[in-house]
Amino acid sequence: MIDSSLRWVDDRLGIAKGGRVFLDKIFPDHWSFMLGEIALYSFVVLLGTGVFLSLYYIPSAHEVIYHGSYLPLNGQKVSEAYSSSVGLSFDVKSGLLMRQAHHWSADIFLGSIAVHMARVFFTGAFRKPREFNWLVGVTMLLLGIVNGFLGYSLPDDLVSGTGIRIAYSIIESIPLVGSYLGFFLFGGNYPGNGVIIPRFFIIHVLIIPVIIGGLLAAHLGLLVKQKHTQFKGPGKTEHNVVGSPMFPTFIAKTTGYLFMITAVTFLLAGFAQINPIWQFGQYEPYQISYAVQPDWYMGWLDGALRIMPSWEWVGWGHTWPLEVFLPAVLFPGIIFNIFFVWPFYEARHTKDLAYHNLLDRPRDRPKRTGAGAMMLMLMFMVFAASSTDVMANFFQIELNYVLWFFRIAVPVIPIITYFVTVKICEEMRAAEGIGKRKRANVVLRSETGEYSTIESDARPGDGHEELEAVPVPTFIDMVPEELATGPGIRRVMR
Amino acid sequence: MSDESLKAPTLSKVSVEDPHLQPYAKNPGRVEAASAALMVLGFLGFIGFGITYWISDQTQWEAATLGGGMLALGAGLIAWGKYLMAQGPFVEERHEFHSTEEERDAMSAAIVERGGMVVQRRKVLFGLFGLGATTLGVVLIFPLVRSLGPKPGRDLFATNWKNNSQLVTSTGRAVRASDLEAGGVLTVFPKGFEGSSPDQTILIRLAQLGPDDPPLQLDPPGRTEWGVQGYVAFSKMCTHLGCPVGLYQERTQQLVCPCHQSIFNVKSGCIPEFGPAPRPLPQLPLKVDNAGYLRSQGGYNQAVGPGFWERP
Amino acid sequence: MATGMGRRFRSRYAVLAGLLASVGIFGLMAFAPSAAQADSTTTTISTAAPNPYGSAAAPSQSVPTTTTTLATSSGPSDYGTVSVILPESFIAPGQALFDASCASCHGNDASGTARAPNLQGLGAGTVDFWVSTGRMPLADSSVQPAEKPPRFNRTETLEIAAFVQSQTPGIGVPVPAVNLSNANLEMGGSLFTLNCAACHTITGAGDALAGGAYAPSLHLATPTQIIEAIRSGPANMPRFGPGNITDAEAHDIAAYVAGPIQHPNDRGGFGLGGIGPVGEGFVGLLLGVGLLMLVAFWIGDRT
Repeated sequence: MIDSSLRWVDDRLGIAKGGRVFLDKIFPDHWSFMLGEIALYSFVVLLGTGVFLSLYYIPSAHEVIYHGSYLPLNGQKVSEAYSSSVGLSFDVKSGLLMRQAHHWSADIFLGSIAVHMARVFFTGAFRKPREFNWLVGVTMLLLGIVNGFLGYSLPDDLVSGTGIRIAYSIIESIPLVGSYLGFFLFGGNYPGNGVIIPRFFIIHVLIIPVIIGGLLAAHLGLLVKQKHTQFKGPGKTEHNVVGSPMFPTFIAKTTGYLFMITAVTFLLAGFAQINPIWQFGQYEPYQISYAVQPDWYMGWLDGALRIMPSWEWVGWGHTWPLEVFLPAVLFPGIIFNIFFVWPFYEARHTKDLAYHNLLDRPRDRPKRTGAGAMMLMLMFMVFAASSTDVMANFFQIELNYVLWFFRIAVPVIPIITYFVTVKICEEMRAAEGIGKRKRANVVLRSETGEYSTIESDARPGDGHEELEAVPVPTFIDMVPEELATGPGIRRVMR
Repeated sequence: MSDESLKAPTLSKVSVEDPHLQPYAKNPGRVEAASAALMVLGFLGFIGFGITYWISDQTQWEAATLGGGMLALGAGLIAWGKYLMAQGPFVEERHEFHSTEEERDAMSAAIVERGGMVVQRRKVLFGLFGLGATTLGVVLIFPLVRSLGPKPGRDLFATNWKNNSQLVTSTGRAVRASDLEAGGVLTVFPKGFEGSSPDQTILIRLAQLGPDDPPLQLDPPGRTEWGVQGYVAFSKMCTHLGCPVGLYQERTQQLVCPCHQSIFNVKSGCIPEFGPAPRPLPQLPLKVDNAGYLRSQGGYNQAVGPGFWERP
Repeated sequence: MATGMGRRFRSRYAVLAGLLASVGIFGLMAFAPSAAQADSTTTTISTAAPNPYGSAAAPSQSVPTTTTTLATSSGPSDYGTVSVILPESFIAPGQALFDASCASCHGNDASGTARAPNLQGLGAGTVDFWVSTGRMPLADSSVQPAEKPPRFNRTETLEIAAFVQSQTPGIGVPVPAVNLSNANLEMGGSLFTLNCAACHTITGAGDALAGGAYAPSLHLATPTQIIEAIRSGPANMPRFGPGNITDAEAHDIAAYVAGPIQHPNDRGGFGLGGIGPVGEGFVGLLLGVGLLMLVAFWIGDRT
C-alpha cells in the first residue's frame, strides 16, 4: 500500500529521488549536536502553548473591574490584559499549566540557544561555508530575546510594567531621535495612550514569530544542504559525514527528544511556579516593588545599567544620557556586532579561507576558546550584577560594597578569564593521553624484589569497537541466506 | 529493479544479517522490554492527564501526568532509536559546495552580459526606474513610522503642577498639613490628575514643625522656602530610568530608587549620592493654604524623569 | 537499559546526574519554597483576631479592651478609635523587667543614654513591637537589629510597654486592638502595593537598603506587630500616622499581609522564594536546560 501511494504522489510531484536522498541523509551522532534541537522543539512548544494562550488573552489596556476567582483582586480596576492573564491562571481549565509552560519554554528556548551557540563557537562550526547559518542563528537569538521581553510584558503586571518604563527611558535616551521614537511607539508621553499593549501583542504573536519561522526554515535548510559538521575521528574526513540515517534512526531519536523536551517543560510548568502575576497586581506607573529584575536573558542589560556610573553629559545645547545610552544601547550593540562579524573576523585574522567540515576541539584553538570564555564570563558577570540587591540581602553585605565589587569585577574578571583559559588549553594540548580514559598502572614485583609498573589492559567496553562506515543500504534482503524454506521450517524475521 | 537513469553505485542491497543493521544493544530483548514498559507508562500518563483534566484541573496533577507520560514515551522512543535500530555507522559523501568554474562563469555572464546589454542601451530608463523605486522606499517609511504617534513637542517639559495646585492622594483625598507625622511619606498628585505618571510626586515630612516654627533649613540655597512646616516634595520619577522612587529611609533621610539603587539625599534637594542616577530629583515648591491644605507654589522648574536629547 | 553501555554508562551518569540534582535541589532550597502547593483558589484569613494576650500564659488580671481615644496634648494627631489601655498593675512589674534588661542602655527612666535612644513619648505600641519581635533586648547595636525569638512572653512584654508608656502618659503609639473581621483585602492589597512594596517587595520578602540597612521579610509578622510598625516606623521605616493611613486602612494592610503575603496562593507549584526572575532563571537554566543536556548526553555519542 505504501508502494502504490508513493507512486501516486510521485506521478504528480516527482519526489521519489529527492525523497530517498533526504531519508538517507546522515546525521553525526555526537551529543553536543543535539543542543540546537532543544531550541527547535522549545519553539514548537512555544507555538503550541502560545496559540492556546492567544485564544484567551485580551490585548487591551482598557480598564475593567476584576471579577474572577482570585479574591484579593476582586473589585479592583485593572486592565483587560491583566484581567485576562489572571483569568487564564485561575478560571481557564489547564490555563495556568499552559501559561507557565509557555514562560518556562521561553526561558529554556533562550538558554538552549546560548548553549548551542557556545558549542558552535567553540568547535568552529561557523567557519566557511557556514557563515550564513551563523548570521541566521545570531539573528534568531536577538529576535528571541526581544520576543521574550514583549511576551512577559503582555500581562501588564507591576513587575513587567516596570520593565516597560525602563525600556521607554532607554529609547528616550537615544540622541537626536530618542524622544520622538518613544512618543511614536507609545502614542505619547509615558505611559502613552494605551496602544503599547496591543502593539506588543501583535509583534509578539505575529511579526517576530513569522520572522523567526522563516529564519528557522533557512537555518534548517542550510543545514540540510551543507550537511552537518562532525568531529575528527576514524573514517571521518572533510568530504563525508558519518552517523545515523535520517529514517528511521534519527527521526526516532529526535522525536523522542521532542517528547522529553516537552515533558521537562510541562513538569517545570506544574511544579515550579513562574511569574505569579496575581501576587504582583496591576501595573501603575507610580507604584513599584523592590527586588525587581527582568527575565534572565535580559538580566545582562539590567546589570550593565546598575553598575554604570552616572555619566550624563550636558553639552552643545543638549543632554547626552550616556549613563543609559552606553550600557543599554551601545553595549548590547557592540556585543551583537561582535557576534555577527566573528566568522569574518576570525577568517581574516587566521588567514584561513578553506572549507571546514571537521570540527575543532576547543583546546586546539586556545585563542578562540579564550575569547569565547571571556565573552561568557563577561555575560555572566554583568548578569550577576543585575541582582546586586538580592545578593546584598542574601550575603548580608552592604549594597554599596556589592555594587563597587561589580564595577571592578565586570571589566577585570573576563580579562583574567581569557588568559587563564588560553593557558589551560595550551596545557591540555601538551598533556599526554588527554581526554582518554586513564589506564590503571599494574604494579609488578620481580623475584628479586624490584617493583615495576605496566599499563593495564583496556577495560571491556572501553574504546568501543567501531565498524567501518558504509553507505546506507537501499534495499535490504530480508531473507537470510541460511534459512531455506522447507516443510516444517518457519522463517522468523526480526 | 533499477532504472537506467539511476546510477548503479547509489543503490545497494545488503543482507539483513549485516552487522551494520544489527541493534546496538547486546541484549535487545531486555531493551525492548524496558522500552515497552516506558511506552506503557507514557500511555497511562496520558490517560491520567485526560482524567485529571476532567475531574479536577489541578495544575500539579496535570503536569505530573502529562509531563511524566511524555517523559516515559519519549524515553521509550529514544531507547528504541538508539539501542534497537540499525547501529550503523553509515557514511554519506559530501558534494562540492561550489559550482564548477564553467557554471560560475555562465552565471556571471548571464547577469553581466545580458543585463549589461539592457542597461547600456537604455541608461535613462534604468536611472528613472531606480529613482522611482528609491523614492517609493523612502516615502513608505513615513506612514510606517510617523503615523504611530504624536511628536513630543513640549510634553516632556511640562507637568500638570501649577501655582496653587492642590496636593491629593492617588484616591483623590486632599492632603492637609496635619496629616503626616515626622518621618511620614505619601505619594501625591495635582488635583484632577490622580494617577498621572509624569505628575507623580513624593511628599515627605522631615520634621514636625508648626506654622509659627522656624522653617527647616534645606540645601541648596533658596530651597528652604520650597519646604513648609517640615514638608518637602520631589518628583517621584527617577532621573535615571523613570522608576517611581518609593523607598524612603527615615533615619538616614535618603530616597532609594528600587530599580537600580540610586540614592538621593532628601535634605539636600535629592542630590544623587550613589548609583547611576545623573541628576537630582526635581523639587516641587510647597505652601499651606488658609484651610490647612497643602498646595504647590508653582510647577517643577525643569523636566522631570530621565534625560533625553532636547533637555537643556 | 542496555548492558552494552555497562559500567561506563552508570558511572558517568551517576556523577553528572548527582551533581545536577544536588545543585538543583540546593537552588530550590536556597530560594526556600514559600508555601504548600495546595491548590486553593480562595485565600483564607482568620476572621477572629489573634488574641494578643496569649492563650497559654494568661495575664494575671483581665485586660479590658475599651475603645477609647488617647488624650492628646501637643503631641501627634489622634491615633484612632481602637487601642488597648494597659492596666496600671502592669507598670510595677514592667519597671522591674525594664531595670533588669533595658535600663543599662536606655536609662532607668527610659530617657536614653549615649548607648541607646530616648524611649519616652514613643508609646506602648512601639515598645511592644520591638520587644515582641525579639529585636530588643539588643546585643550588638552596630548592625540593624534582627528579628529573633522574643525574650519575654506576652504578659511581660506588655508590662514593659506599660512602664515605658507610664513615663509619658497618653503620648505615643498605643498597642492596637486588632480585629480583622471587617478588613478589606482588596483595599489592603492596593495600599500595600503603594506604600510597602517599594521596600519590602511586592511579595513581602524583604531586601537590602542603602548603608547596611535592610527591609525585613514580613513572613513572621503578626497583625499587631504590623500595625505597630506602620504607626511607629521602626528604624528606617517611615512613620504612617492616622492622617496618612487610617485605622481601618491599617487593618486592611495587616489582613493583606496575614493573608496573601504570608500565605500566598502558589497554585503554580514551588514558590522559588518569591524573589522573581532570579530564582526562575536559576531553575530554568540548571534544571531545564541542564536536564535536557543530560538527555542529549544519553542519546548521542561521546566521541
